[in-house]
Amino acid sequence: AATEWNASVWGKRRAFTEHVEKLAELVAEKTGGEFTINVSYGGLSKPRENLDGISIGAFEMAQFCAGYHRDKNRAITVLELPFLGVSNLDEEVAVSHAVYDHPAVMEEMAQWNARIIMTSPMPQYNIVGTGEPRDELADFDGMRVRATGGLGQAFEAVGGVPTSVPATEAFNAMESGVVDTVAFAQHAHLSFGTINKADWWTANLNPGTVNCPVVVNIDAYEALPAEHREALDSSIDEAIDHYLANYGELLKKWDGVLEEKGVQKVMIDDAVIEEFRAKAADPIREAWIADMSAQGIPAQDLYDLVMETLKTAKAGN
Amino acid sequence: MAGHASVLEDLSILSRLDRALLRLERAFALLSGLAVFSLMLMAVVSVSGRNAINAPLPGYVDWIEQAMPLIAFLGISFVQREGGHIRMDIFISRLRGRALWLFELVSVLLILVLMMALVWGSWAHFLRSFDFGAPLWSRDSSIDIGIPLWPAKLLAPVAFSVLCLRLALQVWGFGRALVLGLETPVAVPLIQDAAKQAMAEAEQLDGQG
Amino acid sequence: METIDIGLWVTGGLLVLVIVGMRVAFAAALAGLVGLVWIFWSKKGYASEDLGWALTVAIKTAGQVPHSKVSTHTLSLIPTFILIGYLAYYAGLTRALFEAAKRWVAWVPGGLAVSTVFATAGFAAVSGASVATSAVFARIAIPEMLKIGYNKQFAAGVVAAGGTLASLIPPSAILVIYAIIVEQDVGRLLLAGFIPGAFSALVYGLLIVGIAVIFKNVGPPVGGFTWGQRFAALPGALPIVAVILIIIGFVYNPFGEQAWGTPTEGGAIGAFIVFCFALWRGMRWGQLKSALLETAKLTAMIFSIIWGVLIYVRFLGFADLPGAFSDWITSLTLSPMLILVCILLAYAVLGMFMDAIGMLLLTLPVVYPAVMALNGGETVAAADSAFGMSGPMCAIWFGILVVKMAEFCLITPPIGLNCFVVAGVRPDLSVQDVFRGVMPFFVADGITIALLVAFPAIVLYLPSLAG
Ligand code: NA
Ligand code: NA
Repeated sequence: AATEWNASVWGKRRAFTEHVEKLAELVAEKTGGEFTINVSYGGLSKPRENLDGISIGAFEMAQFCAGYHRDKNRAITVLELPFLGVSNLDEEVAVSHAVYDHPAVMEEMAQWNARIIMTSPMPQYNIVGTGEPRDELADFDGMRVRATGGLGQAFEAVGGVPTSVPATEAFNAMESGVVDTVAFAQHAHLSFGTINKADWWTANLNPGTVNCPVVVNIDAYEALPAEHREALDSSIDEAIDHYLANYGELLKKWDGVLEEKGVQKVMIDDAVIEEFRAKAADPIREAWIADMSAQGIPAQDLYDLVMETLKTAKAGN
Repeated sequence: MAGHASVLEDLSILSRLDRALLRLERAFALLSGLAVFSLMLMAVVSVSGRNAINAPLPGYVDWIEQAMPLIAFLGISFVQREGGHIRMDIFISRLRGRALWLFELVSVLLILVLMMALVWGSWAHFLRSFDFGAPLWSRDSSIDIGIPLWPAKLLAPVAFSVLCLRLALQVWGFGRALVLGLETPVAVPLIQDAAKQAMAEAEQLDGQG
Repeated sequence: METIDIGLWVTGGLLVLVIVGMRVAFAAALAGLVGLVWIFWSKKGYASEDLGWALTVAIKTAGQVPHSKVSTHTLSLIPTFILIGYLAYYAGLTRALFEAAKRWVAWVPGGLAVSTVFATAGFAAVSGASVATSAVFARIAIPEMLKIGYNKQFAAGVVAAGGTLASLIPPSAILVIYAIIVEQDVGRLLLAGFIPGAFSALVYGLLIVGIAVIFKNVGPPVGGFTWGQRFAALPGALPIVAVILIIIGFVYNPFGEQAWGTPTEGGAIGAFIVFCFALWRGMRWGQLKSALLETAKLTAMIFSIIWGVLIYVRFLGFADLPGAFSDWITSLTLSPMLILVCILLAYAVLGMFMDAIGMLLLTLPVVYPAVMALNGGETVAAADSAFGMSGPMCAIWFGILVVKMAEFCLITPPIGLNCFVVAGVRPDLSVQDVFRGVMPFFVADGITIALLVAFPAIVLYLPSLAG
């Protein structure tokens, strides 16, 4: 019988949603059009409520970001800790998927009737700003920065002022001086227009990133006919590969984008980064582990898992 | 318009219940107005803090989002009591007597069924964000400073429940008018002719301008 | 049954509910809820044991919408804009503005009516809500016009039409709602409203002068103000001018590179300044309480429509009606300009039966993507586009056109909110009187819209300066 799924994502079709689109394409191909996934950009839910929609059973697949609602997904916020040391998208996929397979994560997601099938790997959230480049730690003091989750905490640790504005208003906020700098991945600096306003971009600050998994509704997944489930499972790696290749293209063009928009590429001194890491990474991680452990989440375990996986991934390259 | 109807009162139980509920509805509406006022003050604090001493109100956006349900939901029953929710009355204003009460009754009954469903749905929305076992009972938090969302989510089922009480009274009122064939039933908003309606408005505004 | 068929059936049902007089907010929510049940049940092939599941999922999906959709930072503009209007009224600022306009321009034919239009335009620069503007001026301007022998229907029409200016001239709640729905820059859209708003006021003014010249008894000129009296009236109007300048200066800081805040904050700061004036002019708790209660009522009414209609829109999302409509529009072989004109005409018809905000929420998710596709897509360059403007500029231009249509629907029968409000405030006017008096302004609005369509530069000049 035919299976029709709805997938709830948001914004417009962009690098960040390419794996979902690819997955839909592959699944339809493999089942001869018997299993279709309609990708809806914002029509089915608000991004912050995609997990709610999955839990209700309103749609079968969705994408969300951990930092949008830390209390809904405590366990995977380990992946948003600052300065984990992830240096490329392949490593990001490796650590994310290792964490997703951890029983504590599976259990927390199961409370939402959700099962994570893949991540939406993003490069490090470097910042753009106007005026003189901020390349000393002292420059971060009093800097109003648009950054969420662990990133916001990192900048706060060195005197920055995290200032909340929705991503869609980030450009306005920069223009009106509500924020001095905005932290985004490259594709978001492009799609939210912050790069058009920027005078400089930090190429190597690499303070951390945001983790955005794609989930399916467990009931719907288990109700799939065997051949449809097989088609879905077998397409995931290919969808991620497509995503990585596509994002790689975007990153290749990035230097050209900077040049075209007249944005200065700022390299920050290793000593400065080291100082930032010392002030931000360790205290925030320790606080996170203590806080999460108190709530019964195997936080140390999750953190060690990230570190180990990262080591293996780096060794493999 | 649909916006300004009058509600008659007498000493019956129905009318007394109507006025008792009205006190609650008024208090809720005033709370909603005060929330708008606080929104304004919050902006002043945030802007002057940011521009004068580089200290914006932390989580300013988070707090506004928390205040919005207060503003949006709390007045809903007060407006329904006065018959203030917009409608097209070109058809219904031509009806008289029992025919009018029948249409009003069916309409109010449908709204009551809808709102009972939404009390359930919005309560479920609240429950998903609430967890007795978690710190601050929170299973859903705001994006920037992590305020628990359940209090704001709870406002919807609360305000909708009050509206359900109001609708139940109106079902009673219109039902009674239909059965007894009344001319001027109490406790329900009546469509006024323009002159009477404007008179009421003018009285209400006297001494305020 | 195809989901699109379900979408059409439910839409028909919604129309019936609205026509038999069910409150619009609840009719839309009910239609949306029923539609969701239908969609979910159809997914299970209408098996009877699955009806309970479909009901539960639909109710929980609909139950998310009210909280989810109103907890938006940008929507906070609506209540603050409404509050500004009522505070300005209770502070006596509105009356002072009208007095100044009267002494300066009432000597032309139709003098007081022209003064009213210009005063509403000035007030529109602090008020973001058309309905509140009409309500306030009905209390101030109509009595003066009647005193010198104006036709009462005409006087009422002037106020009802003048009130609509508040939605084009920034700040404007309706423009903000448009910007939110289509995810465009709020600041640039507000900027774009300035010239078309002033332009509309000018067309209204000319129309009134024309009418007064032809029909002598409609509105005689008012002379006899000395220059001394004219200048004496200015200080009273200064506070409101100051508020306008402060809001503009706040959002488009002329003294430095960066503005002091966002438009959302600008609205709140404006309200605060008006509040301070009101305190200074002796406003007491009783009056503040009235202003707060009136704000709460109008706000609850508007937000009920917002979440009610959005439950319906959520259903449309599941029925995939927006996508189907967009595909259909772009497959038509008519010229894009002709299609655009048809869309605007459809708005005029729909606007008769809807209120402005409900209409935008309902239609934009379907119509906006279609119009953008018609122009050549979101990122199209001006040279390759159908309307000769880039994607972002087309979003602004269409926004102003739609908001102008939404204003138009505030004064068209049978549901014309501004006319209801004017009749509600005046003991001697029926709703029919106001509708009769406002009719000449349909012509003015028609001319304005035609000019905005033919010369997009009127709309796009300011935003293109902003870059
Ligand atoms: Na305005
Ligand atoms: Na209308």
